[in-house]
Amino acid sequence: MRPFPLFNLCLAITLLAGCSGKVNTEQPGAAKSAPAPLYFKVGPGTAAVVTGTIRYQGKKPALKLIDMSEEPACVEAHHGKAYDESLVVNKKGALANAFVYVKSGLQGKTFEIPATPVTIDQSGCWFRPRVMGIQVGQVLKVVNSDPVTHNIHPMAQINREWNHSQGAGDPPLARKFTKPEVMIPVKCNIHSWMHAFIGVLDYPYFAVSGDDGTFEIKNLPPGTYAIAVWQEKLGTQEQQVTVGPLGKAEANFTFKGK
Amino acid sequence: MVFCVGCKTSGNARPVGAVEEIKAPLGLPLVPIPADNPPTAQTIALGRKLFYDTRLSKDNTLACASCHNPNLGFTDGRSLSLGVGGMSGVRNAPTLLNAAYSPLQFWDGRASSLEEQSADPIANPIEMNQTHKVSVSKISGNPAYKAEFAQAFGPGPVTLEKIEKSLASFERTLLSGNSPFDRYEYGGEKTALTPGAIRGLAVFVDPKRGNCAACHTIHPAYALFTDGRFHNTGEGVNGEGEFNDLGRFGQTKLEADRGAFKTPTLRNVALTGPYMHDGSLKTLKDVVAFYAGGGDSNPDLDKEIKAISLSGQDRADLVEFLQELTGEMPKNAGPPGKE
Ligand code: HEC
Ligand code: HEC
Repeated sequence: MRPFPLFNLCLAITLLAGCSGKVNTEQPGAAKSAPAPLYFKVGPGTAAVVTGTIRYQGKKPALKLIDMSEEPACVEAHHGKAYDESLVVNKKGALANAFVYVKSGLQGKTFEIPATPVTIDQSGCWFRPRVMGIQVGQVLKVVNSDPVTHNIHPMAQINREWNHSQGAGDPPLARKFTKPEVMIPVKCNIHSWMHAFIGVLDYPYFAVSGDDGTFEIKNLPPGTYAIAVWQEKLGTQEQQVTVGPLGKAEANFTFKGK
Repeated sequence: MVFCVGCKTSGNARPVGAVEEIKAPLGLPLVPIPADNPPTAQTIALGRKLFYDTRLSKDNTLACASCHNPNLGFTDGRSLSLGVGGMSGVRNAPTLLNAAYSPLQFWDGRASSLEEQSADPIANPIEMNQTHKVSVSKISGNPAYKAEFAQAFGPGPVTLEKIEKSLASFERTLLSGNSPFDRYEYGGEKTALTPGAIRGLAVFVDPKRGNCAACHTIHPAYALFTDGRFHNTGEGVNGEGEFNDLGRFGQTKLEADRGAFKTPTLRNVALTGPYMHDGSLKTLKDVVAFYAGGGDSNPDLDKEIKAISLSGQDRADLVEFLQELTGEMPKNAGPPGKE
């Protein structure tokens, strides 16, 4: 029975110490210490693709001006008027900035973590992009292109929640998420109008709809998938698609406005 | 005590001259004086000379004043200090103005008095990098110094202890008060502060807005703008939530002190940028924005930081207030001979 008291002691210390430090050591590494996993590779003759368009039906919301006057440098950096971007619909009713992803169908497969980081820029006192996807373990590069200090705060619930201040001209921050989480709302602790949303998945099958509402999820292994779409104001929808080797499937979604 | 030249316990050197009264300017309390080192005109003058003397560094290039320059509020204006041979230091040089009130010296509080403090930079390899033995022999080899030490401490050899005591007595004269804030708060001069600075003061003390005075304290009769304690603001935390410089933890090994640094005074803060222990915040606007963002998250972030909530107007007013904390400079504090 020797290991037990020891284990309890460690636990007690960790708890007493308010878990300081400990929380973090597990952060980027989880995969590192384990033996290199066998990554799933999509066979060259099999890669399928799912495309589609996200639409919005209903009255187009009126443009809402964002008041940045509390930070004159933001007003200037923005060169003119800044409008709310929480629901961006074009003339034809196409919905931009919707996060589309494979919600299920990939169980049992492990995918390689891309070596290239995903960048989020604080620019013109916005987060750019506003909606983005990233893989578990992939580096999130946080850049501040503005002449003012920002404080990026991903309000994660499954991952570790953190916030960090970044002054004008400060070097980029590099952060990672360790668990899948769709979506993590991000705010700037200083500028209340700045919002972004990050979808974290442990595979590379996600996309964000463009200004024309379209998306493309490429290089999928053949199979049956639940494709889900999330929009910050309109909620989520999902549908099933099946793609064979080199198959092409379409998944269109329509959100109804009030 | 056999020939303990350059050794901490080298006896009980005591100034022999008449005790000099050090007057506190408006807004500051009486400066604490250790029983075994009452300041005298002779020790103060000696300390001043030593403070500006490059003999205390290995290659005779650096004096205390190189990093604590009176024209820069007794700082060096750099993020991190440069030692002899251009060796980069690891921390920002704090102001010495009003350091005499601090119960513990250094960002991590590792020295318990100004006397104890002054021996550290002289021998520190990334600062003046000269053994105490060499410093003592360089100083005592100078006939003028020899005579001045004898006047200050009576007959006997120059010792490290006497050097420390002289430097400390000089530093106790580096007091700066009577700022616009002091004249407003303690001098009854209601127009001494601008309207923006008056609003900034209200934000500063409001626990629901700035909450600054929770650590940068203001007493009804005087204000040191520091509680002399150690707090974690998150400054310097890395992506893993860890601190390269553990701050107070290095001294106490207490978990809660991880990443905690001494609350610096805010007097003369407009003169002493860049800011924080690592000098990473360039302007007062940057510092205020740092607080508005809630500091940088980490497991030991001080709870008083979490209470801060600042609007854009509050931030502008706070910066204006901080600029009104520039006090009168102490007299006879520059290089000797230049009054
Ligand atoms: C190479 C630059 C450099 C030189 C030379 C130097 N200092 Fe400093 N000083 C610093 C830095 C950097 C710190 C902060 C170090 C730390 O906290 O670990 C400091 C801290 C101090 C403090 C503590 C102040 C506080 O509020 O905690 C005092 C007092 C001080 N120095 C006095 C002196 C004296 C006296 C000398 C000459 C014997 C001297 N310094 C020489 C850079 C220097
Ligand atoms: C929890 C205690 C605490 C609170 C609350 C706090 N500070 Fe500080 N302050 C500190 C500490 C500790 C440092 C040094 C931190 C470091 O270097 O890591 C500091 C550093 C500073 C500095 C830099 C000074 C220098 O010489 O480098 C300024 C300016 C400052 N604080 C202003 C403020 C203002 C304005 C507020 C209110 C919005 C505030 N502080 C609230 C503890 C506090």
